[in-house]
Amino acid sequence: MALRELSSLEKSLGLKKPNKYSTQGDKKVPVLQSNNGPSLTGLVTIATHLVREANRPELLGSTAEQRAVVQQWLEYRVTKLDNCPKEEIKTILQDLNQYLEDKVYMAGDTFTLADTLMYYGIHRIMVDLAVQEKEKHANVSRWFDHVQHYPGVRHHLPLLVVLRNRLYTSGHH
Amino acid sequence: MGFGDLKTPAGLKVLNDFLADKSYIEGYVPSQADVAVFDALSGPPSADLCHALRWYNHISSYQKEKSSLPGVKKPLGQYGPAGVEDATSAESKDDDDDIDLFGSDDEESEEAKKLKEERLAAYNAKKAKKPAIIAKSSILLDVKPWDDETDMVKLEECVRSIQMDGLLWGSSKLVPVGYGIKKLQIQCVVEDDKVGTDQLEEQITAFEDYVQSMDVAAFNKI
Repeated sequence: MALRELSSLEKSLGLKKPNKYSTQGDKKVPVLQSNNGPSLTGLVTIATHLVREANRPELLGSTAEQRAVVQQWLEYRVTKLDNCPKEEIKTILQDLNQYLEDKVYMAGDTFTLADTLMYYGIHRIMVDLAVQEKEKHANVSRWFDHVQHYPGVRHHLPLLVVLRNRLYTSGHH
Repeated sequence: MGFGDLKTPAGLKVLNDFLADKSYIEGYVPSQADVAVFDALSGPPSADLCHALRWYNHISSYQKEKSSLPGVKKPLGQYGPAGVEDATSAESKDDDDDIDLFGSDDEESEEAKKLKEERLAAYNAKKAKKPAIIAKSSILLDVKPWDDETDMVKLEECVRSIQMDGLLWGSSKLVPVGYGIKKLQIQCVVEDDKVGTDQLEEQITAFEDYVQSMDVAAFNKI
């Protein structure tokens, strides 16, 4: 899973030659084998490295605050979103929904690596959501639909249909 | 199409609803469509219109590169949800002249340009003629009486007496449920924007002398 994600990220960053990856341990932590120097371990570490290699530092945030926020969501992705138990999904969605109410992207006004990785991470949750739940978390759905249509992001994942069903008109904020 | 008058609270409300599930006015990147609508606002929307405000703040972050955003500005009335009266058509009709579809295509021959403009005009005319599609649904309702002594004819009369804008009753039949009790199955067609199942249920169950409960047996978009 994480490996396909990294190769999608490579493509969206426009990196020419694909890197070699392997996985480590039960949780399948990705490891990047490089020809020179030590190997890199962990999704966020590798993703950040790829962004730097592609010379797209703006994807890690352009101001100090934004960099911090991006970092925070990358961390959130691996510590909270991945392997989260079923009963916590609801809380996660609620939190995200509230957070995204006044934001277009995870870290404010520009697209960052946080959007890409959060999108990859939350996709498996969104797949299982009923129309009504998507409707209930309108801000998450809007962000999700936006990112999946953002040029070059969605590679290995199927496009999800996020539509507004006017049947459930009550209480979306 | 259009948001109505964006300087009034009603227009802003339409904008807010429109942006609830969208990040931009058109597509998935900022464009001249956003600039056009942005410029039509007199200031930031109030805080209770959270979707409009989020969009407003986001677009204002593009203020510096405003003119370099992709797309072509169209009259304001061509943006926004279908089914809202275009309030701007009177003021801005003829700005086809400065249309430059792909940014900076200087070598484009005069003829091709003319052809393109003609087609665009023809397309717009065609589009204007086509009425906006109204989303409709066909609903099959199960209305259950209290017992076998409930007068089903009267019950059906009551149900059919409900009249709403955008609601059309269809055929009906009585379906036995057991112990001599029959339920009324009735078809109706509604316009999604005008009639909701909640409304229907409320009105039907209001005849509490006859109606015990009501279910939606089938719901199909047409």
